[in-house]
Formats: sequence, structure tokens, C-alpha cells
Amino acid sequence: MARYAILTNDLQYDLINKNEERRKQVERFAPSMIRFLKKMREMNIPIVHLQLIYDEDDNHAELHNGVLPVLRGTKGAMIAQDYLDDRDIIVEKNKDSGFFETKLDERLKVLGVDTIVITGMQTQICVQTTAADAYFRGYHVIVPSDGVVSTRDSDKQRALDWLASYCAVVSDLDSIERKIVDGTQFQFNVVPIP
Amino acid sequence: MNYLSDRIVLDHGTGGKLSGDLIRDVIVRCLGETHRGQMEDSTVLEWKADRIAITTDSFVLDPIFFHGGNIGKLAVCGTVNDLAVSGAKPLYLTLAFVLEEGFPLSDFEQILHSIRDAALEAEVYIVAGDTKVVKRGEVDKIFINTSGIGIFQPNDIHLSISSIRPGDDVIISGQLGNHSIHILSIREGLGFERRIQSDCAPLNDMIAGVLKEFGNRIHCMRDITRGGLGTLLNEISQLGGFGVRIEQVRLPILHETVMAADMLGVNPLYLANEGNVCIFASSGASKGIVETLRRHRYGEHASVIGKVLECDDCHVVMCGEGGEEKIVQLLQGAELPRLC
Repeated sequence: MARYAILTNDLQYDLINKNEERRKQVERFAPSMIRFLKKMREMNIPIVHLQLIYDEDDNHAELHNGVLPVLRGTKGAMIAQDYLDDRDIIVEKNKDSGFFETKLDERLKVLGVDTIVITGMQTQICVQTTAADAYFRGYHVIVPSDGVVSTRDSDKQRALDWLASYCAVVSDLDSIERKIVDGTQFQFNVVPIP
Repeated sequence: MNYLSDRIVLDHGTGGKLSGDLIRDVIVRCLGETHRGQMEDSTVLEWKADRIAITTDSFVLDPIFFHGGNIGKLAVCGTVNDLAVSGAKPLYLTLAFVLEEGFPLSDFEQILHSIRDAALEAEVYIVAGDTKVVKRGEVDKIFINTSGIGIFQPNDIHLSISSIRPGDDVIISGQLGNHSIHILSIREGLGFERRIQSDCAPLNDMIAGVLKEFGNRIHCMRDITRGGLGTLLNEISQLGGFGVRIEQVRLPILHETVMAADMLGVNPLYLANEGNVCIFASSGASKGIVETLRRHRYGEHASVIGKVLECDDCHVVMCGEGGEEKIVQLLQGAELPRLC
């Protein structure tokens, strides 16, 4: 029996509201995503929010209109309330992959998790790198095509194609939910590392 | 050590007391037996050789530390390898630092220890140096320049592009792109840094071994660094006036590197390596060369990847898995920055 966790990436006010295009994409994804998270909580599946926090001296951090976003302690760095519940876990990260120099792997191992559903934004950056990192660490990886966000649809599709080719099952939120509820096994038909 | 403070300050570069303290108590101490400087305006060396090889390189790596090394190791290996691929025996290096005010002294010491370790492995000595300190923000942490001198014994062959002949085999000693992907992954937190390690290494021992065994059947060697194999082969092709054909299936590329390159939209052919040489050799010798390389710890993925062709258009062509051919262009657009 698989032991699941749901990861969200960067669902933070500064990042959701980066620009109008981003805001619209998130608005489109929000209803089904919020419903999915609620259902997973009902099933006692842990929800882990990866919270991007930039260090003030990180010269690789992306500025928003000349301003460094998601600084520790600011409202903009907080996980948006719509996606958050008291029982959820928040793991701080400073780079793209949620595993990079964080406690995520340790937390998932304590929870006994072997299969993770990776959601959030952006598909071609944090979702993709976190998925690769998870795969290399031996987790089964699932990515819902309607549970991830990119500002540009072409970026999202390219990333989903890559994920499906190399390291993840790509499906949709409803199908993933059904399988988890039913206890059906996912077919992790991915290319093994030689 | 407290009088030095725990961070680099501008006075460490003024030539005064703090400069002297830094050189004597930190740099010379950390370099240990690899330091052969004479603490004068220049170092005078005596050696007997008909010919020498000289090279210089600057290193602006970001991030400065990576798994199994740092910018100091890179600065030694890069210059040692540039000398070794000419057929010379690397002997001496100079070592110049530009340090940013505020740079932690402990990081500097760690880099110096790596320089010492790499120099010991490569059997080269640090014979001269320079240290400048600039204000915060005028460089990023630390930049290093190394220059190197190597010698040729009377019967040593000078390897050069002009010696390459149509029909020569093209051999590479290691997997393509690992250094670049490793550094990029640490820089951005991409998740590949544990699976893909930098190949940064001094290759002079491996190169000397293969030259000793195969002598003049090896015609040219090049260090596959910035611009990667694709750029190197185009340079060779244009300067030498011949074509090169490589086989995609023979290219040693780690699966994870293929994944990362595909994700980043970069071509492994153009990624920088820091411990990988390309050898042009008589085809009759290539099997033995590959076997010799593979016996060395830095050459275990060595492979014949293609052939030099006689043709007028000087193209580099890659033959794909299905037999389709495509031209390997010179690198177009911006190169990935600060990988070496």
C-alpha cells in the first residue's frame, strides 16, 4: 500500500501575484486544487507546503519589479490562506528543488512516505526540479497536469512532457484522487536510471 | 590568528603588514610543501629543456564550492590540463587572487588547502603569486588566475592541430557535461547535484601514461572545457581544414545529464567539462588508447566517438541513432556563465 504525501510549491502571495498572467493562471487552478487538498486531508494524507524564502544576499534570486520577493517574515512570503490548514506542514526552501538543503526528505521519511504528488508552481522550475530530486531519492512521483501552474502554457506543457518522459506519472487531479481513494496502484512506467 | 580577523579586509591587499601576515600565515602555510616562492619580485627557476609550454587561465566560478572541490582545485586542474594536452609535463604554477572585502578567511583557507591537494596530486609547485583585495561588490567573493609552465624532454612530441590527419579517430576520456550540470544544479538547487558530480581533476598523469604508451600515434589533444565538445570540434575542423564525424550513440553521457540538459534546454555537446580530454590519434592505436585510458580512474568512460574526414567544407557532423546526420554548429548565443 502506497504511503502518500502531497507537496505544494510556492503557493505564496508574492509569487501568486507576480503579474496579471500569473494571477489568472492561479485563479484557474485554485478551485480544483483546494478541493483536492481538502479531500486529501480528510484521508489523513499529509500536505507539505514548500515555502520559498530568498536570502537577502542571494544574487541569483529573481527580482519582481526590482524588489526581492518572499523575504522571511513578510506577508508576501506566507502560504496563501486558501491552500493552508492547521494540520499542514510547511518546509522552507531557498532554491528551486524542495529537497535542496531542506528538511523535506527527513520529514517525508519520518512520515513513512514513498509516493508524492507534486503540485503548485511553476511547473517548469520548482515542480520539475523537485520531481527530479524526489525521483533520484527513490520516491514514486505523480504530477497532476491541472494541479500545477505556469505563467505560460507552453512552459507547462514542455515540463509535463519532460516529467512524463523521465520521472513521473502525469495525470489529472480527479483521476489521482480516485486512485488514492480506491487504493489503486499507479503504474510508474518511467525510464530507470541505468 | 585573531589579528588577521576572520574576514578579508582591504588592508590585506595593501602590501603592508596585514598583507604580509596573510601571505605568510595563511597562504604559504596552507600551501605547505607545494609552495616554492622566493617572496621576491620574481622567482628564478633553473631547468633544462629545449622547449617549454606556457598557459594562463582565470577562474570565476559561481558557486565557489562544489561537491569534491572548489574554485581552488579548479584553478590548478584547469591550468595543469591545458599544459598536459600540449604534451608537456606541468611543473610550475603561479597563483593570483582577487578577493572581495569581507570574504571569510575560513573559506579562503579551505580553497588554499584544495589548491595544495590538487598541486600535490598533479606534482606541480606554486612558484609565484599575487593577492589583491577589492571593495565589497567589485568582485564576487574570489577570482583566481593561474599561469603554468610545463617542459618538453628532447624526444617529447608537441601535440598540435597541424598534426591531425584525415582518418584519425576521435576519442574522449570522460562523460560529457557533468561539471556544468553539477555547478548549475548547486547554483539553482535543481536536484541533480547529488547524482551528477563534477569531473574536475588533474589529468596529467593519465595523459602522460597514454603518451608514454602510444607516443607519436597520438597527434593532438585538447581539454574539453568552455564551449564543450561541439565548440572544440568546430575549432579543430576550421583550423585544421578537415571534417569531423561523430556518432551520437558513442558519446558517453550520463542519463541524469541527459535529463538535466533536456530540462534546461541545453545541449550536452556544448557544456563545459573540467576533467575530460579529446584525443586525435591513428585509428590503429585507438583501441589500445581507450583501454589505457579506462585503466586510469579519470578515464573509465573513455570512448572512440568519431573520425576525422578529408573534405572541403570543414563541417562537424553528428550521426544520430537512426542514421540521420546533422551538423554540429558552433555554439550559438550566450554561453552558460561562470562554470569555470
